[in-house]
Amino acid sequence: MISVGIDIGSLSTKSAILKDKQEVIAYDVVYTGGNNRASAEITYRNVLEKAGLSEQDVDVVVTTGYGRENVPFSNKNASEIICHAKGMHFLNPEIRTILDIGGQDSKAIQIDENGGVVNFMMNDKCAAGCGKFLDIIARALNVKLEDLGELSREADTSARISSMCTVFAETEVVSLVAVGTPAPNIIRGVHDSIATRAVALLKSVGIQGPLGMSGGVAKNVGVISALEDILKQPVNVTSYPQVTGAIGAAFIA
Amino acid sequence: MNLFEVTDSDRKSQYRNMSEVLEACRIQDLSSSTNLKASRIRSLLNAYRLSKAYEPDSKVAYVVEQFPNELVYALGMIPWNIESMAILLAQHGCADSFINLTQQNNVSRDICSFLRGSLGVIMANCYPNPDIVLANDQPCDCLSKLANITSKNYRSPFFSISTPTELNEDTLDYLAGQQRRLMKDMAAALNMEFNEADLDRTVGHSNEAREYYCKTLELLRDYRLPGVAREMLEIFGMNAFGIPENVQLCKTLYQEALEMSKKPENKRSGKRVLWAGQAPDGSHEIMQYVEKEVEVIFWAPLWNSNMMKLDPDDPYRSIAQRAIEYHWHMERFQANLAEVCDTYGIDGIVISNAWGCRNMLALSPMLREVCGEKKIKYLTINVDFMDRNNYAFNHVKNRIDAFLEILKQSHL
Repeated sequence: MISVGIDIGSLSTKSAILKDKQEVIAYDVVYTGGNNRASAEITYRNVLEKAGLSEQDVDVVVTTGYGRENVPFSNKNASEIICHAKGMHFLNPEIRTILDIGGQDSKAIQIDENGGVVNFMMNDKCAAGCGKFLDIIARALNVKLEDLGELSREADTSARISSMCTVFAETEVVSLVAVGTPAPNIIRGVHDSIATRAVALLKSVGIQGPLGMSGGVAKNVGVISALEDILKQPVNVTSYPQVTGAIGAAFIA
Repeated sequence: MNLFEVTDSDRKSQYRNMSEVLEACRIQDLSSSTNLKASRIRSLLNAYRLSKAYEPDSKVAYVVEQFPNELVYALGMIPWNIESMAILLAQHGCADSFINLTQQNNVSRDICSFLRGSLGVIMANCYPNPDIVLANDQPCDCLSKLANITSKNYRSPFFSISTPTELNEDTLDYLAGQQRRLMKDMAAALNMEFNEADLDRTVGHSNEAREYYCKTLELLRDYRLPGVAREMLEIFGMNAFGIPENVQLCKTLYQEALEMSKKPENKRSGKRVLWAGQAPDGSHEIMQYVEKEVEVIFWAPLWNSNMMKLDPDDPYRSIAQRAIEYHWHMERFQANLAEVCDTYGIDGIVISNAWGCRNMLALSPMLREVCGEKKIKYLTINVDFMDRNNYAFNHVKNRIDAFLEILKQSHL
């Protein structure tokens, strides 16, 4: 059985193909942009091409994410919470608590031994502490988003950054740059700020068992390191952090 | 210094102002979305009380949530819940202009929208001017402050009851003493006479209505009674315990619930969700979305304090006990939530945090703790049913979808 999961997020659209719900045979990530239906179509085409398959080979397409109801070729849709839980369980069955930080929301999910959701919490009114936050900070510092993690390793200290509001944080960053604060120190401060917020979210749902992280922000080694410093426990990142939701969607097909 | 001036404060002008608002919003029917006879009775009763309050000779007492209205009725006054009235307007989409008015007057957007909405209606001079303003500090001390501001602006006498959090003999004596004094002070301020016999009669009406109220709740335990939980919430919010019309209302609802319970299709089925925190009207998109999938019952009408009958031999003390029980005391609240979950067979809880409500935000982790112990699924949502600037359905829908899915996740 070939199942395709497509996770249409606010910043990026991800897809993954599972064979017999056992093996990830291809995955793909594209920017969502202004048309999430188009981005779903593009990533679908891309992932099929990567797997050497055609639409006729696909048994089921399951969509998730904010744009999940906007995809005409979807056979089924499910929320990201269920999909991240199933995806994480598929990738690492030991995990019992998940932290997912996506483009505009973050989630803490407690799961059981079958990958079923026990409970979850999501961020509240503001996207501060999410992927979008990092994106804006990277632009303010004129560095690439994907370089933030490595740059933070060069820091000798952590600049204090508020985590209350993305716009205010950006202003703080600009002010820090103006007074000559080295970029790595600012970036580490941003990571600490994200980690502090994420830990509060995790604690609101309760951290039980091994912790795993998914979502695009999980690719940032600086955030992982900041989280581990606060939590004093390892944060497990799977082989496909950004496509965990898409894998989960394919899994529940 | 006044925040604003209430001009043309004759009730005729205020009635006209309110009528214009209602007309502009095309509110034809103030009833909720249920088809119950009780809902229609409540609607009529509300409309009657509303129009009566604008009459020049009526004695109007502004009150806040869960004020012991038996005391108000005993003096022949009409209690006017400043917050509930604003919520009613918001439910019918009339709140925008009031919220805008507060912004124009530099009221911070971080303040709870329920308070800002109420303040906006007062600024727009739509409420009948009060003869007296009464406040109690439970469950929301901000409301008490709003009542105080309001009294200054209308230049009305203001009385406030301080409700202790702990429940013991000393606190009961303390609060009952305040209430006794309040009756005398109110009567003196309004140049009225107060007879204890009037309070006795009011307590009698309150208890009679309460009896039907409790019997209806008992039916709700075992049956899925469409519209009944919503009506219980409305009756709780209306807080008209003490007048004979409310006895009729509660009796009608009970009789309808009893009839419904005899039909096989109304046996308990499907998932039951408890709504904790501020709830929107039944016609609100969130409620409609959730109720398509699960049965929703509301926590507030199920609080222990709502089951309490007043002691005719010592009404002040029993009113005091009920008031203390209404306080959002953490341990009592947790115990009550646990009991309600067991009694009513709750599968999931929606914890609804209204914008700016620090009480609810502080309470939420404790409620989640109970959910954890009971292994009940929960959903925490941040919403605003008053100020549309703070709310987007799509943002909340995503969370609701996930919650509904995990309620049904055994099927996935």
